[in-house]
Amino acid sequence: MAIYDRFLSLTSPQAPERDRFILSKGHAALALYSTLYLKGVLSAEQLNSFLEPGTLLGVHPERQIPGIDFTTGSLGHGLSMGAGAALAARLQESQRRVVALLSDGECNEGSVWEAMMFAAQHRLANLTAIVDANGQQAFGRTRDVLNTEPLGDRWKLFGWDVQEVDGHDLDQLTNALQREGERPKAIVARTVFGKGVSYMEGQIAWNYLPMTEVQYRQALQEVG
Amino acid sequence: METLSRVHARSLVAWARDKPKAVVLSADLTSSCEADAFRDAFPDRFFSMGVAEQNMLSFAAGLAREGFLPLVHTFAVFIYRRAFDQVAMSVAYANLPVKMFGFLPGITTPGGATHQAVEDVALMRTLPNMTVLETGDATEVESVLDVAASVPGPVYVRMLRGELPRLFPAAEPLRLDQPRVLSRGKDLTILSSGLCTEEALPAVALLKSRGVAVEHLHLSTLKPCNHPAILQALAQPKYGVLTLENHLVTGGLGSIAAEKIAENGLGVKLCRLGLQDTFAHGASKGYLMREYGLDALALVRAAEQAVKTDLNIRAEDLAQMRVETVPSEAKPEDL
Repeated sequence: MAIYDRFLSLTSPQAPERDRFILSKGHAALALYSTLYLKGVLSAEQLNSFLEPGTLLGVHPERQIPGIDFTTGSLGHGLSMGAGAALAARLQESQRRVVALLSDGECNEGSVWEAMMFAAQHRLANLTAIVDANGQQAFGRTRDVLNTEPLGDRWKLFGWDVQEVDGHDLDQLTNALQREGERPKAIVARTVFGKGVSYMEGQIAWNYLPMTEVQYRQALQEVG
Repeated sequence: METLSRVHARSLVAWARDKPKAVVLSADLTSSCEADAFRDAFPDRFFSMGVAEQNMLSFAAGLAREGFLPLVHTFAVFIYRRAFDQVAMSVAYANLPVKMFGFLPGITTPGGATHQAVEDVALMRTLPNMTVLETGDATEVESVLDVAASVPGPVYVRMLRGELPRLFPAAEPLRLDQPRVLSRGKDLTILSSGLCTEEALPAVALLKSRGVAVEHLHLSTLKPCNHPAILQALAQPKYGVLTLENHLVTGGLGSIAAEKIAENGLGVKLCRLGLQDTFAHGASKGYLMREYGLDALALVRAAEQAVKTDLNIRAEDLAQMRVETVPSEAKPEDL
């Protein structure tokens, strides 16, 4: 939501000059749907159709959904598609920017590093990668499953302009997004999985678990 | 018969001249895929992607999503084997106009199994939204760009390079889902594709000289594959159908024929010539075609079995046949 509120220029989902957002970690689609609802792109009725028969709103985002430009879900595609969109903007002499949101676990995928090399070589300064670094992936801690740290140093070595921020500090995140440079920009956003919900924080099981009604009410209360 | 050299190199430059949205991507095989002339003519529209095919395919999807027409160039194996997930999800599922030119189809390379695309048609044909084309001569290499660009979605092309025969008249370009009827007859039907058609032509000529009436179709569109002439050719033969392809017999032209025969209840015997559940190995094209039974002699022997007659055709007879440029028996608009 902070990315949409404080950085992306999104006059309408059809405006050719709108900034592009790619949720490369497509499994976080529910957060994207909620954001698009709060931005007035999706209706309440559309939002509430999540996983209902006939809906477009599935577990991973589809580009047929208003406000979504790129289908994601298979990890490791988003940064490459973002590089394509960023290079297209350059060829079209457009000022639009491209933001891809990845996860630290996603950086297990070799294709991410291919895209990093390419974007750095072509100095795609209109491309920003945000890595949601919560230290967890599907079934374990990233450092145990396949370590991607030190993330910031690795992106730096690959030629990116890197900033590490507290991903829950919106001012830090906004400042990092707005910093201009001549190279592609990576923001390593340190986050806590399940932040703000006491029984979820850092608990890997919540990658997949559904909430009970009681847990749902408790979570709402805790996040205020 | 005329032989032409580096056909794609020249035709790509000429074709792209008035198409500013066309961009060429190459995974460090630029000269090997005859994209070097384009690189030199339009350096601003050429991108060297490095040996990083996964990035290349999703990157192409990103460009296509923003209105460009990316023409991906590399060896076929590195498109569909290395980057199949990207082809399937970034390109095919999104139905984006990424045009993939896969070089060295089948046993056209001495590079061995790692470089020989022997199951590409099978895989690409299963993908929804995908169009699959295969070039068989210089004329088809020249005209495939127009066809690929005319399709609104993704297209995979089995591409030929180097010295190419002109089997088909320059005035008869490749057309989407239009088979070429090269011979008409009701004894035996032969379907061939790609460079196998050059092998099939002398075999068909000799079979006809021995009194076998052969219906010979060349298919350059493997998906979609709905032209009524194909079904008609499969329905009519007295002795059966033979397919000849530079590919495994599973999933390619032979399977297409099998599906059509079964689904339409044609009940005709089918013999599929091609690689039989095996990878090939590194050797010359001529040797490999003989070794794996993709050549003219293999087709003749299969035809003899089908008609249950020894037609007294020897390898020397085939070697003496001169292949000439063959106009289609019927005009495409009549098919």
